[in-house]
Amino acid sequence: MAEVRYEQASRIYPGTPPVMAVDRLDLAIADGEFLVLVGPSGSGKTTALRMLAGLEEIDSGRISIGDRDVTHAPPKERDIAMVFQSYALYPHMTVAQNMGFALNLRGVSKETIAEKVTEAARLLDLDKYLDRKPKALSGGQRQRVAMGRAIVREPSVFLMDEPLSNLDAKLRVETRANIAALQARLGTTTVYVTHDQVEAMTMGHRVAVLKDGVLQQCDTPRTLYERPANAFVAGFIGSPAMNLHTVPVSENGAQLGELTLPLPRATTANLTEVTLGIRPETLRLVGPEEAGFKLAVELVEELGADAYLHGRAHLGDSDQRFVLRVDGRTPPTIGQTVNAGLRDTGEIHLFHPGTGERLD
Amino acid sequence: MATFAPPRPGPMTPGARPPAAARREAWQRRLPLTPALLFMIFVTQIPFVFTVIFSFQSWNLVRPGSQHWVGLGNYANVFTDSAFRGALFTEIEMTVLAVAISMVLGIGLAVLLDRKFPGRGIVRTLLIAPFLVMPTVAGLLWKTTMLDPVYGIVNYLLRLVGVAPVDFVSRFPMASIVTVLVWQWTPFMMLIVLAGLQSQSGEVLEAARVDGAGPWTTFRAITVPHLRPYIELGGLLGAIYLVNTFDVIFMTTQGGPGTATTNLPYYLYQRAFLGFDVGQASALGVVTVIGTIAVASVALRMLFTVFSTTEGRA
Repeated sequence: MAEVRYEQASRIYPGTPPVMAVDRLDLAIADGEFLVLVGPSGSGKTTALRMLAGLEEIDSGRISIGDRDVTHAPPKERDIAMVFQSYALYPHMTVAQNMGFALNLRGVSKETIAEKVTEAARLLDLDKYLDRKPKALSGGQRQRVAMGRAIVREPSVFLMDEPLSNLDAKLRVETRANIAALQARLGTTTVYVTHDQVEAMTMGHRVAVLKDGVLQQCDTPRTLYERPANAFVAGFIGSPAMNLHTVPVSENGAQLGELTLPLPRATTANLTEVTLGIRPETLRLVGPEEAGFKLAVELVEELGADAYLHGRAHLGDSDQRFVLRVDGRTPPTIGQTVNAGLRDTGEIHLFHPGTGERLD
Repeated sequence: MATFAPPRPGPMTPGARPPAAARREAWQRRLPLTPALLFMIFVTQIPFVFTVIFSFQSWNLVRPGSQHWVGLGNYANVFTDSAFRGALFTEIEMTVLAVAISMVLGIGLAVLLDRKFPGRGIVRTLLIAPFLVMPTVAGLLWKTTMLDPVYGIVNYLLRLVGVAPVDFVSRFPMASIVTVLVWQWTPFMMLIVLAGLQSQSGEVLEAARVDGAGPWTTFRAITVPHLRPYIELGGLLGAIYLVNTFDVIFMTTQGGPGTATTNLPYYLYQRAFLGFDVGQASALGVVTVIGTIAVASVALRMLFTVFSTTEGRA
């Protein structure tokens, strides 16, 4: 049990020019918290995790676990356990040996190891496989062994590097719930890296969004969704992604086709344009008599309960694409032209057209 | 015109051609291979048949007209011949030492080459070079430029530190031969082990570090088990080649002093081409071939299990 603190921690990959893989990261993770690091590939999320693990050097700043500064400590002195993307099981050891390896190195007695391994195996439903080698296990079982190897050590922090990315979709959803439940039960501080924003939203107590090594926002999933700090977070969180379009600002507000959206004057002062962020569920189909904008339907993705409509609207002097959520039972067909309106103008996000920062 | 046969009644699978046509087609396919097959039989099997025939005769080329049948007499001599037993033990000693030492050195060099450092490509090429030198040339090089008591480099270096020159080849014949063989075969072992090291997943090594293993523990508990099939493979292939060592012995010690470095191939050569005892040498050869086949088939079977388990472990 420990809290984790990144203070201005940076990692620079040498090269010409050198790359700031992680750029002055400031992050405080409370004891027992499940924090998810999320971002597109190359955002530095894995590097940030490996810095905490001690597998990557820290070029400036510091990292502490509990009240101990571990900036330059080797991995084995950090009291952490890590689950790797490829699971990194020891191929020549049985499941039990894999799980007991770390305890074995620490000189824990054989009986204690056997006891802890059995306990963890029961927790993960692996008791039947303790004598098998990893190659005789399925992907999901291997993943659980990797989890078990982390659990038996009872570390102060769990580090997980995209542990679900090698599982099929159904198993991933199942395991996602299992990991979250397990973490809640053990109450161990966990840092979890993923590129999948659904995983981030469903598992994390808080989610830290990274881009190009820079922390964009760190908050609860709900806040990230409802009040994204900038256009990048707005576009990254949520599936399908938020519609982000830069539109001209007139006397009365922002102009979206024939639709005029009143804007708080204070936030858009001095701006001739503004970036509107509209979630697919904020848009809805309206009758021809209501205020809206015309949308030519290009694609309809039917998901059962809902359908996502991809359409093209002619705004100003250019064509822009929009996605909106529609009722799954009566979706429009491709080629049709529909009229799109808003559910609630209060759900619109405004961002600065240049910097992408949130405007309220 | 009876060019095509009426459909024959009976249990014929649909689409099956009449046997005569099938046989002809099979022969058409084999035909291009027959020259190679005939050549193989001509250069390997016919001489072997002659060897077997000679092995039942007493025939010394030095005494013309001495050729006569002796039945299994030559074979009886082989098993009572103490020189044959000596050569067999020399052979085993030489092969085991050369394989073991070159494997240990090969593993060490492979571990060094597995890390990144400037000039790694050049170092790797230089390290492989001994393997590309012909054994005859290697023997000659070591006997003269390296180990010669008068102008050899090793003795020159020893003189610098005040050690009197040593005639290595006659004082330490076995060590000299094994040194040459190790020099030649270390690169081979190194390459195979290096392939093994590079096939190891980096995440596994990192997992071991996070689990608390130091460099030595990681090597012993994770890397060596991973390398086992590669070490077995290198050892077996090396042994198969080193059992036949002849060139290096011929160029350096000529099997001596005495019989200190006479292994089976060299002993055979001595009996056949220095003693001209064709009958006795043939019997020796036949026994050696049978022994080699026995050992080789066991080794090859092991080799194939190595391959299949490597596949499974991947």
